Amino acid sequence: MIIEIWTKERYAKNEEAAFLARLARAGLKADAARLSRLYRVEADFSEAEYSRIKSGLLTDKITELSSLAPRKTALKKAYRVEVWLKDSVTDVVGESVKEAVAHVVGRLPEAVRFGRAYYVSCASGLKLKEAVSKTLVNEVVNKFKIGKTKTGR
Amino acid sequence: MTDLLSNFTSLSKKQLAELDGTCGWSLSALELAEVQRQFRGMGRQPSRGELETIAQTWSEHCKHKTFSGPVAFRAGGRVKKYKNLFKETIVRATRKLNKKWCLSVFTDNAGIVQFGKSGKWGLAFKAETHNHPCAVEPYGGAETGVGGVIRDILGVGLGAKPVLNTDSFCFGYPDSKKKLPGNSHPPERIMRGVVEGVRDYGNRMGIPTAAGGIYFDDGYLLNPLVYVGCAGLIPVEKIAKKVMPGDLIVSIGGRTGRDGIHGATFSSANIEEDTSASAVQIGHAINEKKTLDVLMRARDLGLYNAVTDCGAGGFSSAIGELGSQTGARVRLENAQLKDSLIEPWEIWVSESQERMILSVPKARLAGLEAILKAESCDYCVLGTFPGNGRLLVTHGAAKVVDLPMAFLHGGVPNFEKPARRRKVKISAKKPARPAKSYGRILKAMLAHPNVCSRHSVINQYDHEVQGGTVIKPMQGKYGDGPGDAAVIWPQAATLDLSDFSGFAVSHGFNPAAGKLDPYQMALHSVDEAVRNLLCVGAEISRTAILDNFCAASPRDPEVMGDLVLAAEGCHDAAMAYGAPFISGKDSFYNQAKDAGGNEYPIPISLLISATAPVEDIRKAITMNFKEAGSSVYLAGVIRGGMGGSVYNDMAACGNNFISPLDMKAAVRLYTGVLKAIKSGCVPAAHDVSQGGLAVTLAEMAFSGGFGAEIDLCDAKREDGLTPLELLFGESPARLVLEVVPGKEHEFLKLVRGLPVSKIGCVRDSLVLEVRDAGARLFREDLSQLKKSWKRELI
Repeated sequence: MIIEIWTKERYAKNEEAAFLARLARAGLKADAARLSRLYRVEADFSEAEYSRIKSGLLTDKITELSSLAPRKTALKKAYRVEVWLKDSVTDVVGESVKEAVAHVVGRLPEAVRFGRAYYVSCASGLKLKEAVSKTLVNEVVNKFKIGKTKTGR
Repeated sequence: MTDLLSNFTSLSKKQLAELDGTCGWSLSALELAEVQRQFRGMGRQPSRGELETIAQTWSEHCKHKTFSGPVAFRAGGRVKKYKNLFKETIVRATRKLNKKWCLSVFTDNAGIVQFGKSGKWGLAFKAETHNHPCAVEPYGGAETGVGGVIRDILGVGLGAKPVLNTDSFCFGYPDSKKKLPGNSHPPERIMRGVVEGVRDYGNRMGIPTAAGGIYFDDGYLLNPLVYVGCAGLIPVEKIAKKVMPGDLIVSIGGRTGRDGIHGATFSSANIEEDTSASAVQIGHAINEKKTLDVLMRARDLGLYNAVTDCGAGGFSSAIGELGSQTGARVRLENAQLKDSLIEPWEIWVSESQERMILSVPKARLAGLEAILKAESCDYCVLGTFPGNGRLLVTHGAAKVVDLPMAFLHGGVPNFEKPARRRKVKISAKKPARPAKSYGRILKAMLAHPNVCSRHSVINQYDHEVQGGTVIKPMQGKYGDGPGDAAVIWPQAATLDLSDFSGFAVSHGFNPAAGKLDPYQMALHSVDEAVRNLLCVGAEISRTAILDNFCAASPRDPEVMGDLVLAAEGCHDAAMAYGAPFISGKDSFYNQAKDAGGNEYPIPISLLISATAPVEDIRKAITMNFKEAGSSVYLAGVIRGGMGGSVYNDMAACGNNFISPLDMKAAVRLYTGVLKAIKSGCVPAAHDVSQGGLAVTLAEMAFSGGFGAEIDLCDAKREDGLTPLELLFGESPARLVLEVVPGKEHEFLKLVRGLPVSKIGCVRDSLVLEVRDAGARLFREDLSQLKKSWKRELI
């Protein structure tokens, strides 16, 4: 199960502007962007338990929103870039969350991995891939995939 | 490969080289032949674990074969021979100086000097590099670099409490329009990763990161340099350590995985396109914090006899080092693992982070276990130190290593390396007259990556944690001026709020000079580090320094020549300034090949880290102008030579002469200036370094929110200097001082006979105006100067 967390739009302007500037320096002029944190929890938990982890542990209800399904954004012509550490690479954040999950649910998940999702509104998927390789991922330790997004709120 | 291993003693040179390449050992043909000879003598084939152990122990990273080896240096028609370059330069200076306040030098994981008035404390200081891992994975590489140097401090004596982290980086220019080599990360990306790695590890450990620097040069495009340092406090009676036969080998902290396999041998090779990620370790700051907390409690209760960190080479190096006299009996099946598929030899050499090895008397194990459990810190008992001088490592019934320690630590062959002086054309002619006005040049200079503000980096670090950072990296009225040195009051370690003893830490670094004259580079770097300490009011007669050399492949005689000259410079500077080297490190093979086969060697790079006591931290001073009406003095003589200057990097002026440093005069000058600072006459001091005098004045002015009217007519100077040299020349041994109006007479008495001259006054108006004998060189608004300087690096 992948749990997705993101900052509410009214608080997210700074991180989005910094991200767009970073893409621009890597040669991609994007129109808009949204950012999310991803937690892949590998466990035999029920939907209710995943919801408890999502809402009770991983989300700050004042500033963040969350979902057990991929987030829908209002961005037009947007791509979704998902970046993870390769499974062979130690994920320090994931390890810490794994222990915290055990305290919430009472059982230790098999693994928790931490990743990021970037929603980018831009003209060219190819150029986006180039920019992502240049600035967001290090293919020695990261894996990533780019796909088209669903729109909506 | 199995065939090659099982016939090791009869392999040809070609087959040995092939095996070395496949296993990633980075052993030379001579070393492989010596290993082969030894096993022929033993009448058996080596195991994979034994060969891995030898490769780790004999690696450049662990044995420092280049610096500690014999060298034949050719300059002109003369040849000078060194049996051990390191001992005959760096160590020799320290031995000759023989300072009583040096408590432990060159014998442990860090150098230790006396600290404070009570005589109860020692200050441990160490700087490391983590260059190769950062070239491959900047974030993980930098994180584990910080983690590693903190463990050096935890592993010095019976453990010191870290109170300060330092960081100095070298990257290619971030806005380079050059096409990057095929297998390189963009410099901006490397910088971001490295900064985030240092930030996350230091901040999570609760150690302030408060001193350092960033330097840009396209020589570092493929090989960034990441110097990380740490200072800690240790009770004097906890400096001695000794493994006792019968002690248990206890590993505490992180678990062992496959991360970081071959990190040590990887550091001994040039980086190629197919360099593996498995050589990069992964950091976990919270695990190291638990380890720190356990160690401090267990140390004070006397629960172990010796400790060292698992660094390069993992268990093989750490246990090998601790058991070098006693031998070690290791049972790898007892290791705590994070990877179930790991081979026994991989457990032995893995460089998984956050592990410390303790030598624990059997009777004290229960006490140690209680603390480990209370702190939720992983641990395992790996075996014993038997006292028979033999290293025996097993995994269940399988023998992994069975070697005499004497062979492992004394068997490495070394051979004489040729070195020769690099030929560089030096021109001392008058610099060409610039096309732009001096004001415009100053603004461009302030925006240069090697001069501009580092606030976007520094502000990511917690430099306040532990509550002892007295002089912070950003200073002045607005908290954003560039400080010369950090001053730390380590009350979090001493717990003594009535003792205001502190210490200052600074750096000197000048690879641009090294490209022209490595000997002068070393002198200038030591001088800059000492001058920076002086600028905060530290007791520079008690300066202790660290050397961190980084160079390209030592197989190139010119690279070796640079090293010899720089090492000689270190010796001479240490003697002149009375500043012993107490620790250091070297990193070679900082040379990479791009996909097209082009070599990218770094320039010779020497980071000098310096520390000196601050008797009363309440009297430490900062660099910004404090009060309108104060006088501005220049201490030191303006000399010719634009070699290695930022101006020459922006627009070559035809003069690349490096101004030679007169060290005796510098020491006399600094002694007088320190007296003036201590007497309260000098509320602000700032060194003249990158960018020259104009940049120093601008920084003091806009950081203080005061303008200044300067006339250089009375400044001590060589004859015939051009305005360009006056404003932007970077000749050493100079400082700008602000002198309190009512104390000018006292100040002049204290600096009588020294080259100190009044050059102007601090003003309320927010303008910096500089004249020479009445002729205006520039007049600029401080807001414009600051705007140019305060660019965002990240």
